[in-house]
Amino acid sequence: MNYLKPILYFIPLLLIQLVVVPLISIYGIVPNLVLLVAVYYALLGGQIYGMILGFIFGFFFDLFSGGILGASMLSMTIASFVIGYFYNENRVDTNTASYFFLIVLFIAAFINSLVYSFAGNFNPEMKFTALLLEGALLPAVYTTIFGLGIVAFNMRKGRV
Amino acid sequence: MIKVFQRLGYQFKEYVILVILVVVSLISISLSEKPQAKKLKAFAIANFAVLSEITETFVSIFTPDVEVEELRIENAKISLQLNKLKKVAAENDELRSMINMRDTSSLPLIPVRVVSKLITKVQGNFIVNRGSNSGIAKGMPVINHRGLVGLVMDVTEDYSVVRTIQNSNLSIAVTIQRSNVDGVLSFDGRDLIIKDIPTTYDVKIGDRVETSDFSSLFPPLIPVGIISKKETNELGLLHSLTVKPFAEIEATNNLFVIGIVSSKQINQLEMNLLKKP
Repeated sequence: MNYLKPILYFIPLLLIQLVVVPLISIYGIVPNLVLLVAVYYALLGGQIYGMILGFIFGFFFDLFSGGILGASMLSMTIASFVIGYFYNENRVDTNTASYFFLIVLFIAAFINSLVYSFAGNFNPEMKFTALLLEGALLPAVYTTIFGLGIVAFNMRKGRV
Repeated sequence: MIKVFQRLGYQFKEYVILVILVVVSLISISLSEKPQAKKLKAFAIANFAVLSEITETFVSIFTPDVEVEELRIENAKISLQLNKLKKVAAENDELRSMINMRDTSSLPLIPVRVVSKLITKVQGNFIVNRGSNSGIAKGMPVINHRGLVGLVMDVTEDYSVVRTIQNSNLSIAVTIQRSNVDGVLSFDGRDLIIKDIPTTYDVKIGDRVETSDFSSLFPPLIPVGIISKKETNELGLLHSLTVKPFAEIEATNNLFVIGIVSSKQINQLEMNLLKKP
């Protein structure tokens, strides 16, 4: 596996995330494509690799998006750590080319959005239900829908 | 002893790395508002925003944009003026004092375009395509042709970061136009809320909300939204008002920076509201 490949993907991916993805937001809910790729590579490379990748992605995401520095670093590191438990050296290909990937992606996206919502918020009067539902659950669902594309692509590649 | 630590470190290396990365992240969060961190972010944004702008220009080919810049400026000015006129009509008794108020329609408007958006439920941020070279400074209010959008938080030479009103870390002093009731507007992750308005005050659903004279972040009379919901607390003493913003924050792409910063001294005081508690 080429460990530097996802870093090359990062800049175009971030551009899409910050410029194109807002065009498809639904009531302020957007999919997280950066996380999608981080999860994919965490399942290919293992827990430690995933964590470091999540940390790097998060760092640059915070830096370039104008958000609070550290919020995305924290959320993506924790999400990638959890995803590391689903890593299986012997099932790398099937893990990314089956519906298992979508379940893992949903869990990661939920954790990422939840941690991000809490880490990036300094207002104690924020509604917990809003953070949980609109801040975490719905973006996780939206991100998972985009994960279908990767699964379909890998399934097709597997057949060929 | 060292060997024991080495063995433990190797055995639990995932946890060791996790702890290190989490600690670094938490330190970064705590230092996020420090000048050094802001400098780093400004440098990164200045470089990345160039790419964002190119991408945005390319993407905008596929999105309908029939607005002409001059018309948009005119529209924004009319919107501000209309709001002022509505207030004058509603408060006929105070007409004379209203004449002495600052004319918001003559405020300098700097047209800007959004080049990237960070849309989350806690941190609404835009990066716009003009910066200090165009006369934009930190603390300037940002509007669109409908109403208030946010506040300039960071500025580089060619780009600026705008914190939108749908950001949990921004609180705004507002006035309910019809009854002149003042309150503080903040984002609770779902809606814009004005909390703790006594139930004895005359507030109705549909009332217009605008920036207050008390605000040193924003000039007065900028339209913010209308009251869409009124909830009373358990004791029945206070209202919590939900405000529907005039500006569609997530859909907006063409904005105006109002080229003024309030009195620096007052501004410094109120800017403290933007900092972490």
